[in-house]
Amino acid sequence: MGLKRVLTLRTVVATSAGLTLASSSFVAAVQVAGFLAGDTAWLAILTGGLLCLGAASCFSELNSRLPSAAGIRLYFSRAFNDRLALTVSLLYMAVVMGVVGAESYVLASVLNSALPAVPPLIWIVAMFLVVTGMNIRGIKIAGTFQDLITYGLMGSLLVLAFIALGRVGFQLTAPLAPGGILTFINAVAVGVFLFVGFEWVTPLAEEVTHSRLVSRGMLLAVGLLSVVYALFTVAMTASTPREALVASPAPQMVFARTVLGSAGVFWMVVLSLAASITTFNAGLISVSRFIYASAREYVLPPVFSRLSMRFFTPWVAILTVFAAGVTISLVVLATHRYLVLVNLAAAMESVVYALAGLAVIRLRQKEPQAKCPYRVKGGVFIPALTSLVFAGLAVAVMFTDFYVSLYLLAGFAILWWYVHQVVPALKSKYQPRRPARRRRPVAEPADAGCEKT
Amino acid sequence: MASHEEITASLLAFQEGYNKNERLKIMNRDWDRVVLVQANDIPSQHTLELRNGELSVREGAPPRADLTVIADSETLADLFYGDITPTEPYMNGTLKIIGSEDDIVRLDFISLMIWGE
Repeated sequence: MGLKRVLTLRTVVATSAGLTLASSSFVAAVQVAGFLAGDTAWLAILTGGLLCLGAASCFSELNSRLPSAAGIRLYFSRAFNDRLALTVSLLYMAVVMGVVGAESYVLASVLNSALPAVPPLIWIVAMFLVVTGMNIRGIKIAGTFQDLITYGLMGSLLVLAFIALGRVGFQLTAPLAPGGILTFINAVAVGVFLFVGFEWVTPLAEEVTHSRLVSRGMLLAVGLLSVVYALFTVAMTASTPREALVASPAPQMVFARTVLGSAGVFWMVVLSLAASITTFNAGLISVSRFIYASAREYVLPPVFSRLSMRFFTPWVAILTVFAAGVTISLVVLATHRYLVLVNLAAAMESVVYALAGLAVIRLRQKEPQAKCPYRVKGGVFIPALTSLVFAGLAVAVMFTDFYVSLYLLAGFAILWWYVHQVVPALKSKYQPRRPARRRRPVAEPADAGCEKT
Repeated sequence: MASHEEITASLLAFQEGYNKNERLKIMNRDWDRVVLVQANDIPSQHTLELRNGELSVREGAPPRADLTVIADSETLADLFYGDITPTEPYMNGTLKIIGSEDDIVRLDFISLMIWGE
């Protein structure tokens, strides 16, 4: 008997790429270009994409070994230990909330730039209210709509890129000379942010028409995104003054206005809205469900596991993400330090990818006989290289931005303490101890634990 | 390892607990779902069907399932007897639930309403 396998490669690619494409991606793309001389952003973006392909193949192996929606929590728990897995997962979810905050700030800037009469604060609160309301009521964005948004978005970005490149006669300034090696490494490290979230497609592993489709879909999505981002970024920097792009929290609007005037602004508003709604929704769903599941496991206080009796959605967890998202957005609005969140996400993602490479190596050693339909070819070379490269990129981002290293290390230390001190106390306080309801005899394990005398 | 009959008995205990809970039946009256329960260590498949708030159990797989619950036979029996909650085996990879996140949360909620924490 086969499981319900209905998802095709088209949907896997759309899901993987759709979760990644966001309005804040354009900020990261401009930041990548800002590190480099001439029009060489494409080099750093393609290198980032190539490295992410290594990480994608590691995630494919982990997912084929342990196909579960629990994701990195399960992979790292089996490979290392549960406490490390929990610490990293909690930190990762906190960073995703930060990304949602940065995304709302960027989208508010886009909307404010099109309709200056409405202040960004109103846009931020309105957007969060809409997405939170949708999530509490359990309204779904249909799969076909998601496919349309993703492919429409990628197609539109390519068209805009070619129009812009056409306007400058396809003349690029030094497209092959990025400058120093250190700046190139930093650009690649930030470029990783452009692909953040491609691995969130792994829970679909058992719903696709063929088990290999998730790994193929991830690789295709990263490949497609690399090309789209590389072309779009080069088009932006070739057609629009770099200072204007770097200074703006919504560089895609500056670019669209330069290339197509008010029609470009309208087009970009639609694109940004489409990109943000999928990111918001994915962020809110994944983080709120993670908070709910953690509370059910007594990793977080049980209040977070409360469900709406009407809509059966975890409303306390959803409202928590809403409150955190709005707070982060307000802080960003007051300080304008949205780039810290972009760098933070890039560093955290690099840490997770480095651990994914290590997890592959460790699980191969620990469970050599385990079923593993997909195996990264070439022995330990790709997992080891992925691990080393992404660890290096994480360090590079942390050295470049002092606040990133401060926040990341502080977050890790607090969560490490929380997992070691608070979680055991929560479990001991709330975890019920009750007699089993089992109405059948307990099966005796055959010879297990028996001492032979 | 539990037997196919033990899983059937646990599912019937689950059905009995569900049918005693009038509030749960009212809450689920617009949640029509077909759930496949499949053991991965013995040949055992069951179908849980919710229609108009009523829960029925039958042996064998449905032609099409909205949700699929896969685990070893022992975990399945423990789960449907209410000896364990779904969360921990789900997080440690012993239990796999394939379906939308909202459906997974609803299944967790039903188990909570029948068996408590």
